[in-house]
Amino acid sequence: MRDRDALENNPQITCSALEAIHSQLFGWALSRCNFDHAVAEDLMQQAYVELLSGNARFDNKSSLKTFVFGVVQNLARSRFRRLASRLRLVRRFEHVPVEATADVAEADTMSDVWVAVRQLPARQRDIVELIFCRELTIEEASAVMGVSVGTGRVHYDRAKKKLKLRMQKHWELDQ
Amino acid sequence: MTNSETKLKEAVTDAFESAEDAPPFERVWQAAVNRHRLSQRRYRSIAIAAAVAAVAVIVLNYPALRQDEMHYIEVAELLGSTSWVSPSDVLLPERQINLYERLPVLIESTEPAGGALL
Repeated sequence: MRDRDALENNPQITCSALEAIHSQLFGWALSRCNFDHAVAEDLMQQAYVELLSGNARFDNKSSLKTFVFGVVQNLARSRFRRLASRLRLVRRFEHVPVEATADVAEADTMSDVWVAVRQLPARQRDIVELIFCRELTIEEASAVMGVSVGTGRVHYDRAKKKLKLRMQKHWELDQ
Repeated sequence: MTNSETKLKEAVTDAFESAEDAPPFERVWQAAVNRHRLSQRRYRSIAIAAAVAAVAVIVLNYPALRQDEMHYIEVAELLGSTSWVSPSDVLLPERQINLYERLPVLIESTEPAGGALL
């Protein structure tokens, strides 16, 4: 029997199930677009449209959370691939100097942990976020990132080692 | 999970949470539903326009199609005209070989096929 608030083109998904993971999904979308809230919200809307239209079809092969996180990840990838190619064209023809001051200014105001996390390579940062903050297992996080479990494990271990090393000094000062 | 790992997890989670301020689900969901409806409406209008165009093409070309229709020709009608070409004349090849002037080159083979040379 179909749920009352199940989506028309995605009967396995209910609106309430999406609402339950909404804030975590937003956090994931946010980190996909360099913490730009407007872009993250747009990305979320796009992901929901994909679910509503049935373009992204959930068939219970994984958990709903893993599936929707994967949808957001893929949408972010395709969006930024398009943006990157446009940016390359603009740089090629307009010779606009690109300023890298925003990150430096931002880093001053961010906490040490935050800086340490953001300095990690992208994959390591993603897996730490998925496991620590979004409460996914290594298997689920690897599926979202589109890598094998072995690769996911390696990224996770390396990220933890780097973070521990960087945070050791901070914790020693606290004590 | 070891003690330092738990500590690390807490620190990272806190750091992420401080940067996140999720917009209400209803707002995002409603905007997504509106976007979905808009794209559906757009697709529907494109489909209607394509169907109308197809019907218009058929209707406008109907008299021309009727002219090309096959119909029976009376013998008297043919005899009354000044020229007439038999269909077999049209179908026959124009190039003819004069055996007294030029012999056609035939492909020869020594391969036997069913008891005969090809």
